[in-house]
Amino acid sequence: MIGCFGYRCDDTFEGLLTCIYEAYYRHEIPEHITWGNQVQENLLDCSIQIPTDHRKADKVLKSIRAKISKEALGHALYAYLSELDDIGVWIYRYLRLGWKVGSSVDHHLCEKEVWMVQEASRKVEGEANRMLGLIRFRELKGGIYYAPMGPDYNIVSLIAPHFADRLSDQQWMIHDVKRDIAAVYNTKDWVIATVRQKQALSPGDEELEFQQLWKQYFQSITIQGRYHPGLQRQFMPSRYWKYLVEKN
Amino acid sequence: MELKDKIELLAAAAKYDVSCSSSGSSRQGKKGETGNAHLAGICHSWSDDGRCISLLKILMTNQCIYDCKYCVNRVSNDTRRVMLTPDELSFLTINFYRRNYIEGLFLSSGVIRNPDYTMERMIETVRKLRCEYHFHGYIHLKAIPGCDPRLLIEAGRLADRMSVNIEMPTGESLKLLAPQKNKESLIGPMRFIRDTIAEERDSSRSFRSTPGFIPAGQTTQMIVGASPENDFRILTLSEGLYRSYQMKRVYYSAYMPVVSHPMLPTVDKPPLLREHRLYQADWLLRFYGFSADELLDADHPDLDCLVDPKSDWAVRNYDLFPVEINTADYETLLRIPGIGVKSAGRIASARCVRALDDTNLKKIGVVWKRARHFVTCQGRYYGGYFRQMDQLKQELMPYHAAKRLQTDDGEQLSFFQEILPQSNLQNLFLVKAGET
Repeated sequence: MIGCFGYRCDDTFEGLLTCIYEAYYRHEIPEHITWGNQVQENLLDCSIQIPTDHRKADKVLKSIRAKISKEALGHALYAYLSELDDIGVWIYRYLRLGWKVGSSVDHHLCEKEVWMVQEASRKVEGEANRMLGLIRFRELKGGIYYAPMGPDYNIVSLIAPHFADRLSDQQWMIHDVKRDIAAVYNTKDWVIATVRQKQALSPGDEELEFQQLWKQYFQSITIQGRYHPGLQRQFMPSRYWKYLVEKN
Repeated sequence: MELKDKIELLAAAAKYDVSCSSSGSSRQGKKGETGNAHLAGICHSWSDDGRCISLLKILMTNQCIYDCKYCVNRVSNDTRRVMLTPDELSFLTINFYRRNYIEGLFLSSGVIRNPDYTMERMIETVRKLRCEYHFHGYIHLKAIPGCDPRLLIEAGRLADRMSVNIEMPTGESLKLLAPQKNKESLIGPMRFIRDTIAEERDSSRSFRSTPGFIPAGQTTQMIVGASPENDFRILTLSEGLYRSYQMKRVYYSAYMPVVSHPMLPTVDKPPLLREHRLYQADWLLRFYGFSADELLDADHPDLDCLVDPKSDWAVRNYDLFPVEINTADYETLLRIPGIGVKSAGRIASARCVRALDDTNLKKIGVVWKRARHFVTCQGRYYGGYFRQMDQLKQELMPYHAAKRLQTDDGEQLSFFQEILPQSNLQNLFLVKAGET
């Protein structure tokens, strides 16, 4: 095949699974699988648009569970959420290897596709775990707790269940400002929604007071004789500081 | 007095307590109520000294009837005394929690009137949180030494974790620096908590529902560098605490001169490196299958400040190496410098499907700089050859430390004179002589 040959799909996981279905049955290895905002900057780009087909996606899903392992499905999903360049193709190659060797696929750490997918999955999981601690809710007028964040990966759907369990009696919204999506919870269920409106949000009456108290606490808990900002950055990189109450 | 001022004073007075972890408890939330507990714990922020902030770590009051020499809150110290009421404390905790600032509360206190009264007020705070606010998040309570065992049981039913600080590694140092406390008054509550946990475990086997008792266990803390004990003594004590008291953690706190007293040593800087090495050794005890007398002994009572304790051990036991990476069992893998729990697991997993070579190991996350001197891959050795063990040791040092040792600059060497025991320094000169 001449030029840059690849697949394009919509930005759902089903879309990616449909691509994988097509590639497998057409006996092709695309050079890239892209979705959403990922762009392949190439003049000779001749990507094929693959329409999402839930039946096909479901077939792939079941086949991964049955023939490879539940862990492999988890790695594939997390890697997909990383939105890294070329990760689509690596997922495809990882799964192909999986169908060949079965549930032992995760032992094949020395194969590049396994390593790439596991690394991406590890990074996504790591950031999701980190965000469980690093998001800050602000109480708005009307009693809704609002938390903006700007994560590297698309993790909002991974952290929402934790907060639905933890803060089950309050209405909240976790807003991924980079991707314009949000998890919204109404004390019963949570959903992922696209957020378009960008109006200034007014904080509740007590909100600023608590922010002051928290800042005071943050300051007082430091032992000056052990001052070590490098260590602080190592655990809490400065790219996350924008939305931290105590760092503003 | 405003809440903000109280936080300023009482958080600052609590900051020398090291523990801030929120691990060990796993609890689902309840619909319509607040809070759950995450088994691995969650860190919410890191303060400017790089320590994690997980819990709202605060004293109920900084009033105290005791006069421990090393403590800022001792009765003879002239500072402002304030107190947070149970209402204020629970209100603060729940509102911080709702904003995801914290994982829960770590409540400690100076002793007011008597230990029983203090403990009762602390329990009142926690009960308010659990019963009035229906809070299911993490709570760590400090046990006040000398309080009624009945109160300890009551507190343990409400809290996730409790701790009694052992403060000093030996009874003699304790007597010297904390004259009103004695070893028995600290070990007593620890023993009581341990036995109650064991009892609860037994009775939960026979009855379907028993109210829990500190599911996340107990921890303790000791100050390093305020008294003359060596590292061997400290590590042996920790090992004993892990084995016979089932401590979840022993924390070490580098002695920070907060008050001056003729009986306390004068130090310019807290012994942070020593504290770091102790933590490394502590990890070796808990996760790597080492014992204290393997790492240190009477002739070699302190941890090396230039290399980590595992490298130091490996250098002294060089006759056990190199090991073949493809056949060594997991316990042996863990003992190789440059290989940790994670990479040992990966090696064990990856070698099921193929034999590993050096490029694979580097990719897997092994610190090759250190590990290469101790392993063979399919029979091949990639490390260096050494006439003296000190040369090997130099290879294992962090790059900047090794480089400094190589310069002939007088000032640079004097830096090491301060931190190295004399014998070590001589050895290093020998290495230099051997090389030229």
